[in-house]
Amino acid sequence: MMKYFNKMKASTKSPPYVSFSEIIWSWIGAFLGIIPLAYLNYNLFTKSDLEFIIGSFGASAVLLYGAIRSPLAQPRNLIGGHIVSALIGVASYKLFANQLWLAAPLAVATAIAVMHATKTLHPPGGATALIAVIGSNKIHALGFLYAIIPVGLGALIMLVVALFVNNIPEKRKYPEFWF
Amino acid sequence: MQEHQFPVDISDDDVLKAMKSISGFLDITPADFKEIYIVAYRQALERLKRSVKDKHIMTKQVVSVREETSLQEAAELMALNNISGLPVLNHLQHVTGIISEKDFLYEMGDKTKNSFMAVIARCLTNKGCLAISLRNRKARDIMKSPPITVSEETPVFEIAALFEQKKINRVPVIGKDSKLTGIVTRSDIVKSYRIKSSQMRDVS
Repeated sequence: MMKYFNKMKASTKSPPYVSFSEIIWSWIGAFLGIIPLAYLNYNLFTKSDLEFIIGSFGASAVLLYGAIRSPLAQPRNLIGGHIVSALIGVASYKLFANQLWLAAPLAVATAIAVMHATKTLHPPGGATALIAVIGSNKIHALGFLYAIIPVGLGALIMLVVALFVNNIPEKRKYPEFWF
Repeated sequence: MQEHQFPVDISDDDVLKAMKSISGFLDITPADFKEIYIVAYRQALERLKRSVKDKHIMTKQVVSVREETSLQEAAELMALNNISGLPVLNHLQHVTGIISEKDFLYEMGDKTKNSFMAVIARCLTNKGCLAISLRNRKARDIMKSPPITVSEETPVFEIAALFEQKKINRVPVIGKDSKLTGIVTRSDIVKSYRIKSSQMRDVS
């Protein structure tokens, strides 16, 4: 029993601060990565039934522009994690549309499990799956299209921006691996 | 070999400094890094240990004598080739023993020690110090037998351990047909570390 609680003690130090240029480039990347999605959503397709921006893209931006070396931020994880989770989220909603208290945890938990199993773990995927359940009527109306627009397209646009922006500074390189 | 089992004990601070010097956010804690480092280091060590074998480092042109070779001839051969020991073969080319400087010294001294200083000590105490006693004797008379041998596939690290344990300086390498195919000496082991480090460079 003590062993169990001892595990809660810190066992190591926290990682160091990043450099100033890392902070700046994280900001620039995230800014440029979210712009196209927000512009599509608020300026180009305001009247359409489509959505182009969802909350989980904010989380993806943290990884994609702020922690670019992380395995979680690589293309396979970004695209795979989002699409896999979107499909699971929509399926959960469709299966338990009248029991949202069950659909929500089922979507998130299953998304994590399947992302692990497919080596596509991407934390924002959990949000993507959850949004498919708790999202607006507009999101619900999309059905499985949700996995392509906004999820797949948005992830792709953010990836393209990451490829261009993250490779500008001499000391940054993206991606570490593709698949 | 125990001291090679564990890598340099790096501290959390070492890892933190390294993480700082590498630009970008590293998605790992110092403790996790250390764990990976230790496991990877052991694996690399195992791989290198097993990758270099006798056949890669042994000397193939072995100077050897026959059992019935006179000690005078054997000594001349060792002097000529500037070596301190050689294997002794029988008529089937099988290694049946080893003779080294130590065996000569043992015979020349008081037969309790095999060092050069023991021979000097014996000379100075007027007990006679001539190698005459070795005249007309044959390799088989003073050779160490049975000899310690290894195969071509023996990893180098095992030979290094063997040298330490048995306090020997060379070991004949025996091929599949149980004939002599080479010899590994302590200096071959030293040279093998050069092979290892050049392999490491190739990897990086």
